[in-house]
Amino acid sequence: MRALEPSRTATVDCRDVAIHYEVYENSGPTILLIPPSPITHSRIYKAQVPFLARHYRVVTFDGRGNGKSGRPVGVSRHSREENVADIVAVLDASETERAIMVAHCHANWWAVDLAAAHPDRVVAMVAISPGVPYLGRPHRHWSEVASTWDSHLDDPSGWGLFNREVIVTDLERWVSFFFGSQLIEPHSTKQLEDAVSWALETTGEILADSEEAQDLDLPSREEVAAQVATLDKPILVIHGDGDVCQSADKGRGLADATSGEFHLMTGAGHLVAARDPVKVNRLIQQFVDATTGVNMKTHTWSRGLSRQKKALYMSSPIGLGHARRDLAIVEELRALEPDMQIDWLAQDPVTKVLDRAGESIHPASAWLASESGHIASEASGHDLHCFQALRRMDEILLANFMIFQEVVEEGTYDLIVADEAWDVDHFWHENPELKRGSHVWLTDFVGFIPMPEGGSHEAFLTTDYNAEMIEHIARFPRIRDRAIFVGNPDDIYPETFGDGLPKIRDWTEDHFAFSGYITGFTPPNPDETEEIRADLGLEEGEKACVVTVGGSGVGQHLLEKVIAAYPMAKAQMPELRMIAVAGPRIEPESLPRQPGLEVHGYVDRLHRHLSVCDLAVVQGGLTTTMELTAAGRPFLYFPLKNHFEQNFHVRHRLGQYGAGTYMDYSATDPEALADAIVAHVGETVDYRPVETDGAARAAAMIAELI
Amino acid sequence: MRAAHPELAGTLDREGTRLGYEVYGDGEPTILLLPTWTIIHSRFWKMQVAYLARHYRVITYDGPGNGRSERALDPARYTPDAYAADALAVLDECQIESAVVAGVSLGGQYGVALATTAPDRVSGLIMIGPALPLTPPSPERSVIYEQFSKPYPEDVEGWGKYNLAYWHDHYADFVQYFFSQCFSEPHSTKATEDAVGWALETHSRVLEAESAHPGPESDWAKMLSSLTCPTLVIHGTRDRIQPYERGVEAARLSGGALLSMEGSGHLPNVRDPVQVNLAIRDFVERLPK
Repeated sequence: MRALEPSRTATVDCRDVAIHYEVYENSGPTILLIPPSPITHSRIYKAQVPFLARHYRVVTFDGRGNGKSGRPVGVSRHSREENVADIVAVLDASETERAIMVAHCHANWWAVDLAAAHPDRVVAMVAISPGVPYLGRPHRHWSEVASTWDSHLDDPSGWGLFNREVIVTDLERWVSFFFGSQLIEPHSTKQLEDAVSWALETTGEILADSEEAQDLDLPSREEVAAQVATLDKPILVIHGDGDVCQSADKGRGLADATSGEFHLMTGAGHLVAARDPVKVNRLIQQFVDATTGVNMKTHTWSRGLSRQKKALYMSSPIGLGHARRDLAIVEELRALEPDMQIDWLAQDPVTKVLDRAGESIHPASAWLASESGHIASEASGHDLHCFQALRRMDEILLANFMIFQEVVEEGTYDLIVADEAWDVDHFWHENPELKRGSHVWLTDFVGFIPMPEGGSHEAFLTTDYNAEMIEHIARFPRIRDRAIFVGNPDDIYPETFGDGLPKIRDWTEDHFAFSGYITGFTPPNPDETEEIRADLGLEEGEKACVVTVGGSGVGQHLLEKVIAAYPMAKAQMPELRMIAVAGPRIEPESLPRQPGLEVHGYVDRLHRHLSVCDLAVVQGGLTTTMELTAAGRPFLYFPLKNHFEQNFHVRHRLGQYGAGTYMDYSATDPEALADAIVAHVGETVDYRPVETDGAARAAAMIAELI
Repeated sequence: MRAAHPELAGTLDREGTRLGYEVYGDGEPTILLLPTWTIIHSRFWKMQVAYLARHYRVITYDGPGNGRSERALDPARYTPDAYAADALAVLDECQIESAVVAGVSLGGQYGVALATTAPDRVSGLIMIGPALPLTPPSPERSVIYEQFSKPYPEDVEGWGKYNLAYWHDHYADFVQYFFSQCFSEPHSTKATEDAVGWALETHSRVLEAESAHPGPESDWAKMLSSLTCPTLVIHGTRDRIQPYERGVEAARLSGGALLSMEGSGHLPNVRDPVQVNLAIRDFVERLPK
């Protein structure tokens, strides 16, 4: 799912090519994002759009030859002139009188041409990794392979792949090599996948034509010098010192020739906007604001000693479990720090729970891109590849981090509590100078585990992600002031982080404190159990089977399967009642009905139902299964397919408590499920007790930082 | 020892009055730090000079009556227009075409007067706790307007000491009281000592001359609305001398930015110098180049 959808999309015809553009309406100056076509398209700016669109009006477009634009063939159809004409057409069609041009790589040459030919349309320019001929020294590897461009090579490799025949016949080989070389930063797997997949949306022939078109109407050195000398536009150049496409010297050359600002990013490669988006976004914002004089706002600063203690609490919206445990921690924290103001930066469905509890929700919460919506969009049937879903959530996490960062920069928070707020922890390690306040990281699992079906490639990816996290913490131990594992050392999955990496348990014991599990409620005693059962309308002797799929919206299929099993189970056990809870994201009306079956939507304090049931049928989520464990109820749990956390971490933890019956969704038909229900209803269990002081322990660890 | 030493410390003569000025650094643009009420002199900018001079050319000068300037006793020497003329004389002397101008308290009046009479010499105006009577004075200080020229009672307290006769009889005590009110922030001993020390470099007859400067009262609201340069107002919410609402109004009328300093008193540049320095820098960097 995208982090932000455009206000409108349209195409404009430019010299018989349909050019697709998208407008994100807002007040303030317009920013036009120009992609270096046709090797990529507008999505190369996916990490910029949500942030910039919150502050400015943003227009993006796909250049000719890629994305949703036309695919003209022929060298002359990819000339500079044609590409500049496309930009003008997009400006006209989007009713943009003038804009700040943000361009990447060779698109900067178009931006320079545009500013020279249409100075009234260009307010200022941000040149990312620019390459304008004659300005700065190019890398030698380009000139070395120029002579073999048109040749047939028997065994091309490396930069020799920059060859018409290779590109036309095996585009993937060239772009995999090219982008693989550009992403010099470790842990760039996702950026590489993105860049290659966008490049493969064009054809080798078009890409080869566009490369040859760079030599059309080639101006002389003097002409280029004269052109840039008269630009008279504010310009910011951003360049990685490890750029192997356009050497950083070329960026410096452009800045020097235009008296522009030059920002060198050391350790960075060609794709800085994708790989270091936080820094690039902030540089663009500072430059635009300084250039246009907008956003001279009213500010308040409070003297240190006159400030109230303040905490910003973030609770992951993926599943409903975090919200309740975080409320329990906050209740304990208030007992220790009664004068501390606690704001929540949170989104649906967490905000529903917080609203009901009367908590203070920071207004910026309304801007957050939906993480639970993304997760729901990633699920299919009883299948959620949550590792890949998290990887594909990259632009949403970034968009939300940029909002978070603005909140903490304005809010004078003493304490940031991030319960699996991946964006905060990840991007503060990537941009350590941005840290504000003490940071408490909470999680109930450590380590990405590959699903066996994913084979060696998935193992490579999870190892890479785990390695990045380990390196982050080793390099910047000052980012996490406290890391709390919601559980006990025995709950940690007994495996390593991957080849060459430590055992998860060893590393976690070294880097985390342990709060024990936090249920957020006290299980009812036998008297209370009878009371709740009566409240729920359960008759003496009735056997109640509660079916619930949590809050993520993934689970319709399991509900349907259990509902299908119900008549068969009921036939064997007439005293069986079934209560199905669809949760906040599934419409109860969408579920099939059966006589004797109750279907509810969102149920407040669902744990009351669960804590008195005779059997629960649930997914493999940690919160619900641990609630059942704490309440000592029998349950069948079906981990989502491809969900590493449910299949490995949760299953292992439940094993520690001796709790629950593991079920395989795809191997269980309604008949087998009916048998399992009948077999386990009312079963006496002997689970290891779940601690009840977890929230107090976590709160005490947090309060030490205040 | 000072944190920064001037490149140039000179004096100039404007219509018979000697004024001392200092130039620090040579970056662009020039920041002209105006005098304030002459009870203190240009050293009240001491927490700004070293930092700003690392980035810009900074000019400070003493107004008539304190510091290295003459202890002028002619009330006409202390009108806002006279201060604006002093500032222009300093800019001329240093051959500065235009500058970003900053003033604290009464310096806000002087800055507005300067930007009004010579708009092409002021590229931006910063007003810190400006003494612009755009809203009513605080009730505690209304006694000043009723009692200033009358004899003071023997058991005079508080703002009753803001009294001409009391100044002549107990100048040091008045000064001590006045700055205790300027620095409403806890733990302000050093700031108070500094200000009292600078105040003791002048005397009550100078303050008498300043307070007697002839009208007419300026139409500050109209002048603020007519300003053509970008403005920034910085005002402490606990300013006991100039109510915070005056700063809000000054920002609104001039269409400028406002930095509210929660918990700060009348002289945030002294007491919360880091934030004020960063705000000045941010303002200067955002000015059209």
